[in-house]
Amino acid sequence: MRSFSLLKGIGVFLLLVVLHYTVRPLLGTRVSIDFLVIALMLAAVHVRPGAAALLGFVTGVIADSLTPLSFGAGALAMSAVASAASWLKSTVFGDNMLLQAIFIAAGKWAFDVVYLVAERRLSFGDLLVHLVLWSPLSAIATGLAGVLVVLVFRISMEPRP
Amino acid sequence: MDKVALTACLVASLFGLVLPDPTRQSVAGSIRETFVGPVIALQVQAERARGAFVSRDISAARLDSLVLRNAELRDMELENEHLRGLLGLGARLHTRFVPAQALHRPEFGDPQTVLVTAGARAGVVERSAVVAPDGLIGTVVNVEQETSTALLWTHPDFRVSAMSADGKVFGIVSPHLGTDVDGFMLELRGVAFRDSLAPGTEIRSSGLGSVFPRGIPIGTVVESITTPSAYARTYLVRPAVMPADVTVVMVLLPASVNLESAWKSPASDSLTRAIGAAADSIARARRDTVRRDTTRRSP
Repeated sequence: MRSFSLLKGIGVFLLLVVLHYTVRPLLGTRVSIDFLVIALMLAAVHVRPGAAALLGFVTGVIADSLTPLSFGAGALAMSAVASAASWLKSTVFGDNMLLQAIFIAAGKWAFDVVYLVAERRLSFGDLLVHLVLWSPLSAIATGLAGVLVVLVFRISMEPRP
Repeated sequence: MDKVALTACLVASLFGLVLPDPTRQSVAGSIRETFVGPVIALQVQAERARGAFVSRDISAARLDSLVLRNAELRDMELENEHLRGLLGLGARLHTRFVPAQALHRPEFGDPQTVLVTAGARAGVVERSAVVAPDGLIGTVVNVEQETSTALLWTHPDFRVSAMSADGKVFGIVSPHLGTDVDGFMLELRGVAFRDSLAPGTEIRSSGLGSVFPRGIPIGTVVESITTPSAYARTYLVRPAVMPADVTVVMVLLPASVNLESAWKSPASDSLTRAIGAAADSIARARRDTVRRDTTRRSP
């Protein structure tokens, strides 16, 4: 039973990675769903913070390989967010839909903050607009999509024992 | 342990951020070329699908424009061919003529006449013959200063004195008043019972009655048809010209001349062109053969 859950978790994780590179470009909107963050947040609650940080690092490096100019920013942001998610989930949140959406949305917004600051590509004004306007909207979309994934795949959000 | 892993990850990430550009490009490129390759392929497909979706309306508009342009080109091609025919005919005619546009007026409920853009000022008079490169179209029935009205051969009142191309058999051509497809045919009436015409025989104007000059092609015999008259034969004739296809015409000014030489035998022009094309093909094939032989021998 435990191995089945593990396989399902890996399958959903890979599916979300694929969706990130297929559905996201199709939508092509400025407010987009970050499937990588969803995958990372869902995985992070089931592992220890150190493992979550490693998973975030690997995922971030993969994402960064497509944006060489900001190489490292994604890995940094994902490591931090995954580790924090793993720690926060076990201490703060319960298994509630609204809280799950907020949890994933917060993860996405935190990712954007770390990423954009570490990337140092945007001017202060653009950075502010992005963090105050576009990032929250993307975070909301990502949070809702994350809850949908949890419901569709019946993923348990109970933290690790 | 968790803190160590997290710290290692953060340090590695920061290290990636401060790497020189070429090194970063190199590392990112290595990752892209290995296990991220399939992901990139997926993204490329997705981007392509999105591009196709976004540009669909533009592509459809361009396609519509091309189709329309193609249709216009076809019309121009036909008109060009027709004008070339007229030029050739004009050079061969030994009588005065006026080139003009034929404006069809089906919207006015009279598809059996056309407005011709040449009138009395150009010398057109009533009963002038109206012809196209392929043959007779009709006759002028009304003349204004700048325009005139021509009665097409499809009109029930249209008549022309006709003969076989060899000048041995005579009759009167009138429209065949059928209700179906035959409605676009002609009849050659009043052919003496002792005479007979084989299908395919060319029919031309005879020049009798002085309305139409002698020798204008009218059509070709299709078959004999049964009529109540026991003293004359009637033949169904396929017209040389369908008026609906004609937009440029020549109005022949009155003159009692023989125009037989102006129109060569049926399809002789196209036959000449076909012979010319065949000769070109043979010459080309001969050149190719010689070139191949030369190429074989040269080494």
